Amino acid sequence: MPASSEASITLAGDLHARPAGSLAIAAAMFESSIELTAAGHTTDAKSVLGVMGIGATSGQVVTVRATGPDAVEAVAAITGILANATKVGS
Amino acid sequence: MTDAGRVGIVLVSHSAALAAGTAELAGQVGGGEVVIVPAGGTDDGRLGTSIDKIRHALAAADNGAGVVVLPDIGSSVLTVRAMVADGEGVPEPLAIADAPFVEGAVAATIAAAVGGDVKAVASAAEEARHARKL
Repeated sequence: MPASSEASITLAGDLHARPAGSLAIAAAMFESSIELTAAGHTTDAKSVLGVMGIGATSGQVVTVRATGPDAVEAVAAITGILANATKVGS
Repeated sequence: MTDAGRVGIVLVSHSAALAAGTAELAGQVGGGEVVIVPAGGTDDGRLGTSIDKIRHALAAADNGAGVVVLPDIGSSVLTVRAMVADGEGVPEPLAIADAPFVEGAVAATIAAAVGGDVKAVASAAEEARHARKL
């Protein structure tokens, strides 16, 4: 049965091209569908250009929502990447 | 992921600097897991395309899983198409992606990094034309 999971995180830095790439690669490893929402824009987390396109910047809240058999793990992994990849100075 | 490894990517541009810079950028976004080979400019360093450079790039990019080629504009496209039609020294499977150069290269690199086949990598590049940046 498809489960769904959701978590939000406040970015410590901008979601630049490189973290967007890491995020899309990590997202592709999950079977669940994964969406990111920031400032009213929603994108497929598995699309690197989509992730860059939401233009999420420091201080914004990003919501990660996953639906599927590994939804809980997916949300944990993606929020972890958002926390680390956007650290200021990284 | 197959034993044959990841799909390689060849970036064909009129400009050596443009091809090399796009390869550098896509490589960084993709975490360095994908072979991306630039083939830009003529053999004597002018703006244009070189069949020799493209042929070497195709060979260098092929790990056994095939190659996706992104041409920039004009004669890059014509040259790549002619080479594929000729078939000599062209890896199999191979796809030419009808895609924006920079965005397509980045999207293709991520698709290759996660183990996509030639078709999936070319499709990812082609979907890049619909990606909004604003």
